[in-house]
Amino acid sequence: MIRYRGAWTVGTRVVLVLVLLAVALVPAFFSTYFTGAVALKVLWLGLAAASLTFLSGQGGMVSLAQTALFGVGGYITARLMVFEAMSPWLAALIGVGAATAAGLVVGSIASGSRVIYFLMITLAFAVVAYLFFSQVSTFGGHTGINGVFAPAPLDNPTLKPTAVYYVCLACCVVAYLLLRYVGRTPFGLALQAVRDEPARANALGFDVRLHRTLAFALAAAIAGVAGVLATWQTTRISPGTIDVTRTIELLVVAVIGGLYRLEGAWLGAFVYVLLDTYLRGLSGRFETWIGIAFVAIVLLSPGGLAGLLARIDEEVRRPERKRRRRRRRRRAPRLGSALRRTG
Amino acid sequence: MSSEASMLEVDGLSAFYGEARVLDEISFTLHEGSAAIVGRNGMGKTTLCRAIMGITPPDSEGSVLLDGRELGGEPSYVICSAGIGYVPQGRELFPSLTTDEHLRMIGGRLVARGRWDVDAVYGLFPQLARRRRLSGAQLSGGEQQMLAIGRALLTNPRLLLMDEPSEGLAPAIVDELLETCHRLRDEGIGLLVVEQNLGVAGRLADRLLVMVSGRIEHDTHAAELLEDEEAQRRYLGVESMATGEGA
Repeated sequence: MIRYRGAWTVGTRVVLVLVLLAVALVPAFFSTYFTGAVALKVLWLGLAAASLTFLSGQGGMVSLAQTALFGVGGYITARLMVFEAMSPWLAALIGVGAATAAGLVVGSIASGSRVIYFLMITLAFAVVAYLFFSQVSTFGGHTGINGVFAPAPLDNPTLKPTAVYYVCLACCVVAYLLLRYVGRTPFGLALQAVRDEPARANALGFDVRLHRTLAFALAAAIAGVAGVLATWQTTRISPGTIDVTRTIELLVVAVIGGLYRLEGAWLGAFVYVLLDTYLRGLSGRFETWIGIAFVAIVLLSPGGLAGLLARIDEEVRRPERKRRRRRRRRRAPRLGSALRRTG
Repeated sequence: MSSEASMLEVDGLSAFYGEARVLDEISFTLHEGSAAIVGRNGMGKTTLCRAIMGITPPDSEGSVLLDGRELGGEPSYVICSAGIGYVPQGRELFPSLTTDEHLRMIGGRLVARGRWDVDAVYGLFPQLARRRRLSGAQLSGGEQQMLAIGRALLTNPRLLLMDEPSEGLAPAIVDELLETCHRLRDEGIGLLVVEQNLGVAGRLADRLLVMVSGRIEHDTHAAELLEDEEAQRRYLGVESMATGEGA
Protein backbone atom coordinates (compact mmCIF):
# COMPACT_ATOMS: atom_id res chain seq x y z
CA MET A 1 0.00 0.00 0.00
CA ILE A 2 1.56 3.24 -1.13
CA ARG A 3 0.37 6.54 0.17
CA TYR A 4 1.61 9.27 -2.07
CA ARG A 5 0.80 12.13 0.25
CA GLY A 6 2.84 11.91 3.43
CA ALA A 7 0.96 13.40 6.35
CA TRP A 8 2.36 16.65 7.68
CA THR A 9 3.00 16.12 11.35
CA VAL A 10 4.33 18.97 13.47
CA GLY A 11 7.81 17.46 13.21
CA THR A 12 7.65 17.34 9.43
CA ARG A 13 6.47 20.92 9.31
CA VAL A 14 9.37 22.11 11.45
CA VAL A 15 11.86 20.19 9.31
CA LEU A 16 10.38 21.57 6.09
CA VAL A 17 10.51 25.15 7.36
CA LEU A 18 14.11 24.69 8.50
CA VAL A 19 15.09 23.22 5.13
CA LEU A 20 13.37 26.06 3.31
CA LEU A 21 15.17 28.57 5.52
CA ALA A 22 18.52 26.92 4.84
CA VAL A 23 17.82 26.85 1.11
CA ALA A 24 16.79 30.52 1.19
CA LEU A 25 20.05 31.46 2.89
CA VAL A 26 22.28 29.72 0.35
CA PRO A 27 23.14 32.91 -1.63
CA ALA A 28 24.18 34.63 1.58
CA PHE A 29 26.52 31.94 2.87
CA PHE A 30 27.88 30.19 -0.19
CA SER A 31 30.07 31.32 -3.04
CA THR A 32 28.64 32.83 -6.17
CA TYR A 33 29.79 29.75 -8.03
CA PHE A 34 27.94 27.39 -5.71
CA THR A 35 24.76 29.44 -5.81
CA GLY A 36 24.79 29.95 -9.56
CA ALA A 37 26.06 26.62 -10.83
CA VAL A 38 25.03 24.12 -8.15
CA ALA A 39 22.13 25.34 -6.02
CA LEU A 40 20.30 26.96 -8.90
CA LYS A 41 20.53 23.80 -10.97
CA VAL A 42 19.27 21.77 -8.02
CA LEU A 43 16.17 23.95 -7.96
CA TRP A 44 15.17 23.70 -11.60
CA LEU A 45 16.25 20.10 -12.03
CA GLY A 46 14.25 19.26 -8.90
CA LEU A 47 11.27 21.14 -10.31
CA ALA A 48 11.43 19.11 -13.53
CA ALA A 49 11.81 15.91 -11.52
CA ALA A 50 8.85 16.91 -9.33
CA SER A 51 6.61 16.88 -12.39
CA LEU A 52 7.65 13.26 -12.92
CA THR A 53 7.29 12.39 -9.24
CA PHE A 54 3.76 13.77 -9.22
CA LEU A 55 2.76 11.85 -12.35
CA SER A 56 4.28 8.62 -11.22
CA GLY A 57 3.46 8.81 -7.51
CA GLN A 58 -0.09 10.02 -7.71
CA GLY A 59 -1.04 8.99 -11.21
CA GLY A 60 1.00 5.84 -11.68
CA MET A 61 2.36 7.23 -14.94
CA VAL A 62 6.12 6.97 -15.34
CA SER A 63 6.64 9.48 -18.12
CA LEU A 64 9.76 9.83 -20.22
CA ALA A 65 8.33 12.93 -21.88
CA GLN A 66 9.10 15.39 -19.07
CA THR A 67 12.50 16.43 -20.42
CA ALA A 68 11.00 17.02 -23.87
CA LEU A 69 8.19 19.11 -22.38
CA PHE A 70 10.81 20.99 -20.41
CA GLY A 71 12.48 21.58 -23.78
CA VAL A 72 9.27 22.85 -25.37
CA GLY A 73 8.95 25.44 -22.59
CA GLY A 74 12.60 26.47 -22.87
CA TYR A 75 12.81 26.50 -26.65
CA ILE A 76 9.62 28.47 -27.31
CA THR A 77 10.59 31.04 -24.69
CA ALA A 78 14.14 31.36 -26.06
CA ARG A 79 12.91 31.68 -29.64
CA LEU A 80 10.39 34.39 -28.81
CA MET A 81 12.87 36.33 -26.69
CA VAL A 82 15.86 36.18 -29.01
CA PHE A 83 14.32 36.21 -32.50
CA GLU A 84 11.09 38.11 -31.87
CA ALA A 85 12.42 40.37 -29.10
CA MET A 86 9.34 39.64 -27.09
CA SER A 87 9.04 40.62 -23.46
CA PRO A 88 10.70 37.82 -21.45
CA TRP A 89 7.72 37.44 -19.14
CA LEU A 90 5.25 37.13 -21.99
CA ALA A 91 7.63 34.76 -23.78
CA ALA A 92 7.89 32.63 -20.65
CA LEU A 93 4.12 32.55 -20.33
CA ILE A 94 3.73 31.45 -23.93
CA GLY A 95 6.50 28.88 -23.48
CA VAL A 96 4.78 27.34 -20.47
CA GLY A 97 1.47 27.47 -22.32
CA ALA A 98 3.04 25.63 -25.27
CA ALA A 99 4.44 22.97 -22.94
CA THR A 100 0.99 22.54 -21.37
CA ALA A 101 -0.66 22.26 -24.77
CA ALA A 102 1.93 19.70 -25.88
CA GLY A 103 1.26 17.86 -22.62
CA LEU A 104 -2.46 17.80 -23.37
CA VAL A 105 -1.86 16.31 -26.80
CA VAL A 106 0.72 13.73 -25.70
CA GLY A 107 -1.31 12.97 -22.59
CA SER A 108 -4.48 12.35 -24.54
CA ILE A 109 -2.62 9.86 -26.74
CA ALA A 110 -0.64 8.14 -23.99
CA SER A 111 -3.40 8.06 -21.35
CA GLY A 112 -5.03 5.05 -22.97
CA SER A 113 -1.99 2.90 -22.29
CA ARG A 114 -0.38 1.69 -19.14
CA VAL A 115 3.03 0.71 -17.83
CA ILE A 116 5.46 -0.30 -20.60
CA TYR A 117 3.29 1.02 -23.43
CA PHE A 118 2.89 4.34 -21.70
CA LEU A 119 6.64 4.45 -21.24
CA MET A 120 7.22 3.74 -24.94
CA ILE A 121 4.76 6.38 -26.16
CA THR A 122 6.28 9.05 -23.95
CA LEU A 123 9.76 7.97 -25.01
CA ALA A 124 8.71 8.27 -28.65
CA PHE A 125 7.58 11.82 -27.98
CA ALA A 126 10.89 12.58 -26.28
CA VAL A 127 12.82 11.38 -29.32
CA VAL A 128 10.57 13.22 -31.76
CA ALA A 129 10.92 16.46 -29.81
CA TYR A 130 14.70 16.07 -29.71
CA LEU A 131 14.91 15.44 -33.46
CA PHE A 132 12.53 18.30 -34.19
CA PHE A 133 14.47 20.88 -32.22
CA SER A 134 17.84 19.69 -33.51
CA GLN A 135 16.77 19.70 -37.19
CA VAL A 136 14.52 22.73 -37.54
CA SER A 137 16.54 25.83 -38.28
CA THR A 138 14.05 28.27 -36.74
CA PHE A 139 15.12 26.79 -33.41
CA GLY A 140 18.79 27.05 -34.19
CA GLY A 141 19.37 23.48 -35.32
CA HIS A 142 22.37 21.83 -33.70
CA THR A 143 23.69 25.00 -32.11
CA GLY A 144 20.40 25.81 -30.41
CA ILE A 145 19.60 29.34 -29.26
CA ASN A 146 22.21 31.40 -27.42
CA GLY A 147 22.11 34.67 -25.58
CA VAL A 148 18.76 34.20 -23.86
CA PHE A 149 19.04 36.92 -21.27
CA ALA A 150 16.27 37.29 -18.76
CA PRO A 151 15.25 40.83 -17.76
CA ALA A 152 17.43 42.62 -15.21
CA PRO A 153 18.24 41.83 -12.46
CA LEU A 154 18.04 38.25 -13.70
CA ASP A 155 20.28 38.81 -16.69
CA ASN A 156 23.62 37.76 -15.23
CA PRO A 157 23.14 34.37 -13.55
CA THR A 158 26.84 33.54 -13.54
CA LEU A 159 28.12 36.59 -11.69
CA LYS A 160 24.95 37.70 -9.91
CA PRO A 161 22.84 34.61 -9.39
CA THR A 162 20.96 35.78 -6.30
CA ALA A 163 17.93 37.25 -8.05
CA VAL A 164 17.53 34.27 -10.41
CA TYR A 165 17.96 32.01 -7.45
CA TYR A 166 15.06 33.55 -5.56
CA VAL A 167 12.79 33.53 -8.59
CA CYS A 168 13.60 29.86 -9.03
CA LEU A 169 13.05 29.13 -5.36
CA ALA A 170 9.69 30.91 -5.43
CA CYS A 171 8.63 28.84 -8.46
CA CYS A 172 9.65 25.64 -6.69
CA VAL A 173 7.77 26.50 -3.50
CA VAL A 174 4.64 27.45 -5.44
CA ALA A 175 4.82 24.28 -7.56
CA TYR A 176 5.39 22.13 -4.48
CA LEU A 177 2.43 23.61 -2.63
CA LEU A 178 0.26 23.46 -5.75
CA LEU A 179 1.01 19.79 -6.39
CA ARG A 180 0.41 18.95 -2.74
CA TYR A 181 -2.85 20.85 -2.80
CA VAL A 182 -3.98 19.13 -5.98
CA GLY A 183 -3.20 15.80 -4.34
CA ARG A 184 -5.83 16.52 -1.69
CA THR A 185 -8.58 17.78 -3.96
CA PRO A 186 -11.24 15.35 -5.22
CA PHE A 187 -9.37 15.41 -8.54
CA GLY A 188 -6.14 14.30 -6.87
CA LEU A 189 -7.88 11.58 -4.85
CA ALA A 190 -9.63 10.33 -7.96
CA LEU A 191 -6.29 10.30 -9.77
CA GLN A 192 -4.94 8.10 -7.01
CA ALA A 193 -7.97 5.86 -7.27
CA VAL A 194 -7.37 5.64 -11.00
CA ARG A 195 -3.77 4.67 -10.30
CA ASP A 196 -4.83 1.98 -7.81
CA GLU A 197 -7.64 0.45 -9.85
CA PRO A 198 -8.71 2.09 -13.11
CA ALA A 199 -11.73 -0.18 -13.62
CA ARG A 200 -13.16 0.51 -10.17
CA ALA A 201 -12.62 4.24 -10.51
CA ASN A 202 -14.31 4.14 -13.89
CA ALA A 203 -17.37 2.46 -12.39
CA LEU A 204 -17.57 5.28 -9.84
CA GLY A 205 -18.09 7.82 -12.57
CA PHE A 206 -14.53 8.86 -13.39
CA ASP A 207 -13.43 9.22 -16.95
CA VAL A 208 -10.07 7.55 -16.48
CA ARG A 209 -8.47 8.87 -19.66
CA LEU A 210 -9.59 12.42 -19.01
CA HIS A 211 -8.16 12.35 -15.49
CA ARG A 212 -4.86 10.98 -16.67
CA THR A 213 -4.69 13.51 -19.51
CA LEU A 214 -5.37 16.48 -17.22
CA ALA A 215 -2.75 15.29 -14.74
CA PHE A 216 -0.30 14.94 -17.61
CA ALA A 217 -1.00 18.50 -18.76
CA LEU A 218 -0.48 19.83 -15.24
CA ALA A 219 2.85 18.03 -14.99
CA ALA A 220 3.76 19.36 -18.44
CA ALA A 221 3.16 22.92 -17.23
CA ILE A 222 5.52 22.34 -14.29
CA ALA A 223 8.14 20.83 -16.58
CA GLY A 224 7.70 23.83 -18.90
CA VAL A 225 8.37 26.27 -16.05
CA ALA A 226 11.51 24.30 -15.18
CA GLY A 227 12.57 24.55 -18.84
CA VAL A 228 12.17 28.34 -18.86
CA LEU A 229 14.14 28.70 -15.61
CA ALA A 230 16.89 26.42 -16.88
CA THR A 231 17.14 28.42 -20.08
CA TRP A 232 17.40 31.66 -18.12
CA GLN A 233 20.05 30.21 -15.85
CA THR A 234 22.25 28.93 -18.66
CA THR A 235 21.24 31.76 -21.06
CA ARG A 236 20.93 29.20 -23.82
CA ILE A 237 19.22 26.04 -24.90
CA SER A 238 20.44 23.42 -27.34
CA PRO A 239 19.38 19.93 -28.44
CA GLY A 240 21.90 18.51 -25.98
CA THR A 241 19.70 19.84 -23.17
CA ILE A 242 16.84 17.54 -24.09
CA ASP A 243 18.41 14.43 -25.63
CA VAL A 244 17.76 10.91 -24.42
CA THR A 245 20.68 11.09 -22.00
CA ARG A 246 18.95 14.02 -20.26
CA THR A 247 15.69 12.11 -20.28
CA ILE A 248 17.37 9.25 -18.45
CA GLU A 249 19.10 11.72 -16.15
CA LEU A 250 15.77 13.12 -15.04
CA LEU A 251 14.42 9.64 -14.40
CA VAL A 252 17.53 8.82 -12.35
CA VAL A 253 17.11 12.03 -10.33
CA ALA A 254 13.46 11.27 -9.59
CA VAL A 255 14.12 7.64 -8.65
CA ILE A 256 17.12 8.52 -6.44
CA GLY A 257 14.96 11.07 -4.65
CA GLY A 258 11.99 8.73 -4.36
CA LEU A 259 8.91 8.56 -6.52
CA TYR A 260 6.43 8.56 -3.66
CA ARG A 261 7.26 11.87 -2.08
CA LEU A 262 7.32 15.21 -3.80
CA GLU A 263 10.22 16.45 -1.66
CA GLY A 264 12.25 13.55 -3.04
CA ALA A 265 12.53 15.28 -6.41
CA TRP A 266 14.69 18.08 -4.99
CA LEU A 267 16.55 15.69 -2.73
CA GLY A 268 17.44 13.58 -5.76
CA ALA A 269 18.46 16.68 -7.72
CA PHE A 270 20.63 17.83 -4.82
CA VAL A 271 22.54 14.57 -4.63
CA TYR A 272 22.81 14.27 -8.39
CA VAL A 273 24.06 17.81 -8.99
CA LEU A 274 26.57 17.54 -6.13
CA LEU A 275 27.98 14.32 -7.55
CA ASP A 276 27.87 15.75 -11.05
CA THR A 277 29.74 18.90 -10.06
CA TYR A 278 32.39 17.57 -7.70
CA LEU A 279 32.84 13.93 -8.67
CA ARG A 280 33.30 14.67 -12.34
CA GLY A 281 36.46 16.60 -11.46
CA LEU A 282 37.85 13.82 -9.28
CA SER A 283 37.08 10.87 -11.45
CA GLY A 284 36.70 10.43 -15.15
CA ARG A 285 34.12 7.73 -14.53
CA PHE A 286 31.25 9.84 -13.30
CA GLU A 287 28.58 7.75 -15.06
CA THR A 288 29.89 4.62 -13.39
CA TRP A 289 29.72 6.19 -9.96
CA ILE A 290 26.27 7.63 -10.42
CA GLY A 291 25.17 4.24 -11.76
CA ILE A 292 26.50 2.47 -8.68
CA ALA A 293 24.86 5.03 -6.42
CA PHE A 294 21.60 4.56 -8.33
CA VAL A 295 21.63 0.78 -8.02
CA ALA A 296 22.57 0.97 -4.34
CA ILE A 297 19.74 3.37 -3.54
CA VAL A 298 17.14 1.40 -5.50
CA LEU A 299 18.20 -1.83 -3.79
CA LEU A 300 18.36 -0.33 -0.30
CA SER A 301 15.23 1.76 -0.52
CA PRO A 302 12.66 1.43 -3.30
CA GLY A 303 11.24 4.72 -2.06
CA GLY A 304 14.53 6.48 -2.83
CA LEU A 305 16.23 8.88 -0.43
CA ALA A 306 12.93 10.40 0.65
CA GLY A 307 11.64 6.92 1.43
CA LEU A 308 14.82 6.19 3.37
CA LEU A 309 14.37 9.34 5.45
CA ALA A 310 10.73 8.49 6.08
CA ARG A 311 11.75 5.04 7.24
CA ILE A 312 14.37 6.40 9.61
CA ASP A 313 11.75 8.81 10.92
CA GLU A 314 9.39 5.91 11.50
CA GLU A 315 12.04 3.91 13.33
CA VAL A 316 12.64 6.85 15.65
CA ARG A 317 8.95 7.18 16.41
CA ARG A 318 8.26 3.48 16.63
CA PRO A 319 7.67 3.26 20.42
CA GLU A 320 5.08 6.02 20.22
CA ARG A 321 3.34 4.30 17.31
CA LYS A 322 3.17 1.00 19.12
CA ARG A 323 1.55 2.56 22.14
CA ARG A 324 -1.02 4.23 19.97
CA ARG A 325 -1.79 1.05 18.10
CA ARG A 326 -2.29 -0.85 21.33
CA ARG A 327 -4.73 1.79 22.51
CA ARG A 328 -6.62 1.54 19.31
CA ARG A 329 -6.87 -2.22 19.60
CA ARG A 330 -8.31 -1.96 23.08
CA ARG A 331 -11.29 0.01 21.87
CA ALA A 332 -11.44 -2.06 18.73
CA PRO A 333 -14.80 -2.51 17.02
CA ARG A 334 -17.07 -5.11 18.46
CA LEU A 335 -16.84 -7.12 15.27
CA GLY A 336 -14.15 -9.71 15.80
CA SER A 337 -11.08 -10.11 13.69
CA ALA A 338 -12.71 -13.05 11.94
CA LEU A 339 -14.81 -10.56 10.01
CA ARG A 340 -11.87 -8.44 9.07
CA ARG A 341 -11.20 -8.49 5.39
CA THR A 342 -8.15 -6.93 3.99
CA GLY A 343 -9.19 -5.47 0.72
CA MET B 1 -45.85 -4.15 -7.89
CA SER B 2 -45.94 -0.79 -9.52
CA SER B 3 -47.66 0.12 -12.73
CA GLU B 4 -45.05 2.75 -13.61
CA ALA B 5 -42.62 2.41 -16.47
CA SER B 6 -39.69 0.09 -15.95
CA MET B 7 -36.57 1.41 -14.27
CA LEU B 8 -34.11 -1.11 -15.66
CA GLU B 9 -34.69 -3.10 -18.77
CA VAL B 10 -32.09 -5.64 -19.82
CA ASP B 11 -32.64 -7.14 -23.23
CA GLY B 12 -30.60 -9.84 -24.94
CA LEU B 13 -27.49 -9.18 -22.88
CA SER B 14 -24.66 -11.58 -23.68
CA ALA B 15 -21.13 -11.55 -22.36
CA PHE B 16 -17.94 -13.28 -23.37
CA TYR B 17 -14.57 -13.97 -21.84
CA GLY B 18 -12.60 -14.45 -25.02
CA GLU B 19 -14.48 -17.16 -26.90
CA ALA B 20 -16.43 -18.41 -23.91
CA ARG B 21 -20.00 -17.21 -23.69
CA VAL B 22 -20.78 -16.59 -20.03
CA LEU B 23 -24.09 -14.76 -20.34
CA ASP B 24 -26.59 -16.03 -22.84
CA GLU B 25 -29.04 -13.37 -24.00
CA ILE B 26 -30.30 -12.35 -20.61
CA SER B 27 -33.51 -10.36 -20.53
CA PHE B 28 -35.44 -9.06 -17.57
CA THR B 29 -37.18 -5.93 -16.43
CA LEU B 30 -37.00 -4.26 -13.05
CA HIS B 31 -39.78 -1.87 -12.05
CA GLU B 32 -39.58 0.21 -8.89
CA GLY B 33 -38.33 -1.58 -5.81
CA SER B 34 -35.89 -4.40 -5.51
CA ALA B 35 -34.96 -7.74 -6.95
CA ALA B 36 -32.35 -10.30 -6.03
CA ILE B 37 -30.37 -12.50 -8.36
CA VAL B 38 -29.60 -15.90 -6.89
CA GLY B 39 -27.72 -18.87 -8.23
CA ARG B 40 -24.86 -21.21 -7.58
CA ASN B 41 -21.19 -20.30 -8.00
CA GLY B 42 -20.05 -19.85 -11.54
CA MET B 43 -23.50 -19.26 -13.01
CA GLY B 44 -22.52 -15.77 -14.21
CA LYS B 45 -23.96 -13.52 -11.51
CA THR B 46 -20.89 -11.32 -11.13
CA THR B 47 -20.43 -11.29 -14.89
CA LEU B 48 -23.98 -10.00 -15.21
CA CYS B 49 -23.17 -7.15 -12.83
CA ARG B 50 -20.02 -6.28 -14.74
CA ALA B 51 -21.83 -6.44 -18.08
CA ILE B 52 -24.63 -4.15 -16.86
CA MET B 53 -22.00 -1.79 -15.47
CA GLY B 54 -20.00 -1.78 -18.71
CA ILE B 55 -16.84 -3.08 -17.07
CA THR B 56 -14.46 -5.05 -19.32
CA PRO B 57 -13.72 -7.90 -19.28
CA PRO B 58 -16.18 -9.41 -20.20
CA ASP B 59 -16.97 -8.16 -23.68
CA SER B 60 -20.70 -7.75 -23.77
CA GLU B 61 -23.42 -7.04 -26.27
CA GLY B 62 -27.10 -6.36 -25.90
CA SER B 63 -29.29 -3.65 -24.53
CA VAL B 64 -29.42 -2.12 -21.05
CA LEU B 65 -32.04 0.59 -20.61
CA LEU B 66 -32.16 2.75 -17.51
CA ASP B 67 -35.31 4.85 -17.40
CA GLY B 68 -35.54 4.39 -21.14
CA ARG B 69 -31.98 5.51 -21.85
CA GLU B 70 -29.79 3.07 -23.77
CA LEU B 71 -26.57 2.29 -21.87
CA GLY B 72 -25.42 -0.84 -23.70
CA GLY B 73 -21.90 -0.36 -25.02
CA GLU B 74 -21.25 2.80 -23.01
CA PRO B 75 -18.10 3.04 -20.85
CA SER B 76 -18.76 2.48 -17.18
CA TYR B 77 -18.24 6.09 -16.08
CA VAL B 78 -21.13 7.07 -18.36
CA ILE B 79 -23.27 4.28 -16.91
CA CYS B 80 -22.44 5.49 -13.41
CA SER B 81 -23.31 9.06 -14.35
CA ALA B 82 -26.55 7.84 -15.89
CA GLY B 83 -27.59 6.54 -12.49
CA ILE B 84 -26.37 3.04 -11.71
CA GLY B 85 -24.31 2.84 -8.53
CA TYR B 86 -22.12 -0.22 -8.28
CA VAL B 87 -21.13 -1.96 -5.04
CA PRO B 88 -18.68 -4.62 -6.20
CA GLN B 89 -18.12 -8.02 -4.68
CA GLY B 90 -15.52 -7.96 -1.93
CA ARG B 91 -16.11 -4.15 -1.49
CA GLU B 92 -12.99 -3.35 -3.54
CA LEU B 93 -11.91 -0.25 -1.71
CA PHE B 94 -8.87 1.74 -2.81
CA PRO B 95 -5.91 0.58 -0.74
CA SER B 96 -4.23 3.96 -0.52
CA LEU B 97 -7.23 6.11 0.43
CA THR B 98 -8.77 6.73 3.84
CA THR B 99 -12.48 6.40 4.57
CA ASP B 100 -12.97 10.12 4.25
CA GLU B 101 -10.99 10.31 1.02
CA HIS B 102 -13.10 7.54 -0.50
CA LEU B 103 -16.12 9.76 -0.01
CA ARG B 104 -14.55 13.13 -0.80
CA MET B 105 -13.21 12.03 -4.15
CA ILE B 106 -16.57 11.44 -5.85
CA GLY B 107 -17.19 14.01 -8.56
CA GLY B 108 -18.96 17.19 -7.48
CA ARG B 109 -21.44 17.05 -10.33
CA LEU B 110 -22.71 13.62 -9.25
CA VAL B 111 -22.87 14.59 -5.59
CA ALA B 112 -24.71 17.82 -6.33
CA ARG B 113 -27.50 16.20 -8.30
CA GLY B 114 -29.22 14.46 -5.39
CA ARG B 115 -29.66 14.28 -1.68
CA TRP B 116 -26.59 12.13 -0.95
CA ASP B 117 -23.54 14.11 0.03
CA VAL B 118 -20.70 13.20 2.37
CA ASP B 119 -22.57 14.35 5.47
CA ALA B 120 -25.65 12.37 4.49
CA VAL B 121 -23.56 9.23 4.14
CA TYR B 122 -22.01 9.80 7.55
CA GLY B 123 -25.52 10.33 8.84
CA LEU B 124 -26.58 6.98 7.43
CA PHE B 125 -23.46 5.23 8.76
CA PRO B 126 -22.35 7.06 11.93
CA GLN B 127 -19.81 4.30 12.47
CA LEU B 128 -17.92 5.41 9.38
CA ALA B 129 -17.71 8.97 10.66
CA ARG B 130 -15.74 7.67 13.63
CA ARG B 131 -13.34 5.89 11.30
CA ARG B 132 -12.86 8.62 8.75
CA ARG B 133 -9.08 8.74 9.02
CA LEU B 134 -8.49 5.01 8.77
CA SER B 135 -7.60 3.38 5.50
CA GLY B 136 -10.09 1.00 3.93
CA ALA B 137 -8.01 -2.04 4.87
CA GLN B 138 -8.22 -1.16 8.58
CA LEU B 139 -12.02 -1.27 8.62
CA SER B 140 -14.03 -4.31 9.64
CA GLY B 141 -15.88 -6.23 6.97
CA GLY B 142 -19.16 -4.54 7.85
CA GLU B 143 -17.60 -1.10 7.79
CA GLN B 144 -15.97 -1.81 4.46
CA GLN B 145 -19.37 -2.75 3.09
CA MET B 146 -20.87 0.47 4.47
CA LEU B 147 -18.10 2.45 2.82
CA ALA B 148 -18.60 0.70 -0.51
CA ILE B 149 -22.32 1.47 -0.32
CA GLY B 150 -21.70 5.05 0.80
CA ARG B 151 -19.26 5.58 -2.05
CA ALA B 152 -21.87 4.37 -4.53
CA LEU B 153 -24.62 6.45 -2.90
CA LEU B 154 -22.60 9.62 -3.38
CA THR B 155 -23.06 9.29 -7.12
CA ASN B 156 -26.78 9.67 -6.33
CA PRO B 157 -27.86 6.62 -8.26
CA ARG B 158 -31.31 5.69 -9.44
CA LEU B 159 -30.42 2.03 -9.03
CA LEU B 160 -27.91 0.35 -6.75
CA LEU B 161 -26.28 -2.73 -8.18
CA MET B 162 -24.83 -4.79 -5.33
CA ASP B 163 -22.73 -7.90 -5.78
CA GLU B 164 -22.82 -10.25 -2.78
CA PRO B 165 -23.08 -7.57 -0.11
CA SER B 166 -23.53 -10.06 2.74
CA GLU B 167 -20.47 -12.11 1.88
CA GLY B 168 -18.23 -12.67 4.89
CA LEU B 169 -20.40 -10.72 7.31
CA ALA B 170 -21.68 -11.92 10.70
CA PRO B 171 -25.47 -12.42 10.98
CA ALA B 172 -25.92 -9.33 13.16
CA ILE B 173 -24.11 -7.20 10.59
CA VAL B 174 -26.17 -8.72 7.80
CA ASP B 175 -29.29 -7.59 9.69
CA GLU B 176 -27.94 -4.03 9.78
CA LEU B 177 -27.18 -4.25 6.09
CA LEU B 178 -30.71 -5.41 5.29
CA GLU B 179 -32.14 -2.56 7.31
CA THR B 180 -30.04 -0.10 5.33
CA CYS B 181 -31.18 -1.67 2.07
CA HIS B 182 -34.84 -1.40 3.06
CA ARG B 183 -34.33 2.23 3.96
CA LEU B 184 -32.77 2.99 0.61
CA ARG B 185 -35.54 1.13 -1.19
CA ASP B 186 -38.17 3.12 0.71
CA GLU B 187 -36.44 6.29 -0.46
CA GLY B 188 -37.03 5.20 -4.01
CA ILE B 189 -33.61 3.85 -4.95
CA GLY B 190 -33.92 0.65 -6.96
CA LEU B 191 -31.93 -2.32 -5.72
CA LEU B 192 -30.61 -5.14 -7.84
CA VAL B 193 -28.68 -7.45 -5.56
CA VAL B 194 -26.72 -10.58 -6.31
CA GLU B 195 -27.01 -12.85 -3.31
CA GLN B 196 -25.76 -16.38 -2.74
CA ASN B 197 -27.70 -16.80 0.44
CA LEU B 198 -31.31 -17.55 -0.35
CA GLY B 199 -32.53 -16.52 3.11
CA VAL B 200 -30.89 -13.11 2.82
CA ALA B 201 -32.08 -12.73 -0.75
CA GLY B 202 -35.65 -13.42 0.34
CA ARG B 203 -35.48 -10.77 3.02
CA LEU B 204 -33.96 -8.27 0.61
CA ALA B 205 -36.41 -8.58 -2.20
CA ASP B 206 -39.70 -10.19 -2.93
CA ARG B 207 -38.71 -10.93 -6.46
CA LEU B 208 -35.99 -13.48 -7.16
CA LEU B 209 -34.26 -14.12 -10.46
CA VAL B 210 -32.58 -17.51 -10.52
CA MET B 211 -29.49 -17.75 -12.70
CA VAL B 212 -28.33 -21.04 -14.16
CA SER B 213 -25.46 -21.26 -16.64
CA GLY B 214 -25.62 -17.68 -17.84
CA ARG B 215 -29.39 -17.58 -18.19
CA ILE B 216 -32.28 -16.46 -16.03
CA GLU B 217 -34.02 -19.80 -15.55
CA HIS B 218 -36.68 -18.75 -13.17
CA ASP B 219 -38.38 -15.47 -12.31
CA THR B 220 -40.21 -16.04 -9.09
CA HIS B 221 -41.25 -14.83 -5.66
CA ALA B 222 -39.14 -15.38 -2.60
CA ALA B 223 -41.90 -17.07 -0.65
CA GLU B 224 -42.53 -19.46 -3.49
CA LEU B 225 -38.93 -20.52 -3.89
CA LEU B 226 -38.37 -20.85 -0.16
CA GLU B 227 -41.20 -23.37 -0.01
CA ASP B 228 -40.25 -25.28 -3.11
CA GLU B 229 -37.48 -27.59 -1.96
CA GLU B 230 -37.38 -29.33 -5.28
CA ALA B 231 -36.68 -26.10 -7.13
CA GLN B 232 -34.05 -25.15 -4.58
CA ARG B 233 -32.30 -28.45 -5.13
CA ARG B 234 -32.45 -28.00 -8.84
CA TYR B 235 -31.32 -24.40 -9.10
CA LEU B 236 -29.25 -23.74 -6.06
CA GLY B 237 -28.02 -27.05 -4.69
CA VAL B 238 -29.58 -28.46 -1.59
CA GLU B 239 -27.20 -26.96 0.94
CA SER B 240 -28.38 -23.43 0.24
CA MET B 241 -31.57 -24.34 2.10
CA ALA B 242 -29.72 -24.76 5.39
CA THR B 243 -27.76 -21.50 5.10
CA GLY B 244 -30.93 -19.81 3.99
CA GLU B 245 -32.72 -20.75 7.17
CA GLY B 246 -29.77 -19.76 9.34
CA ALA B 247 -29.67 -16.13 8.34
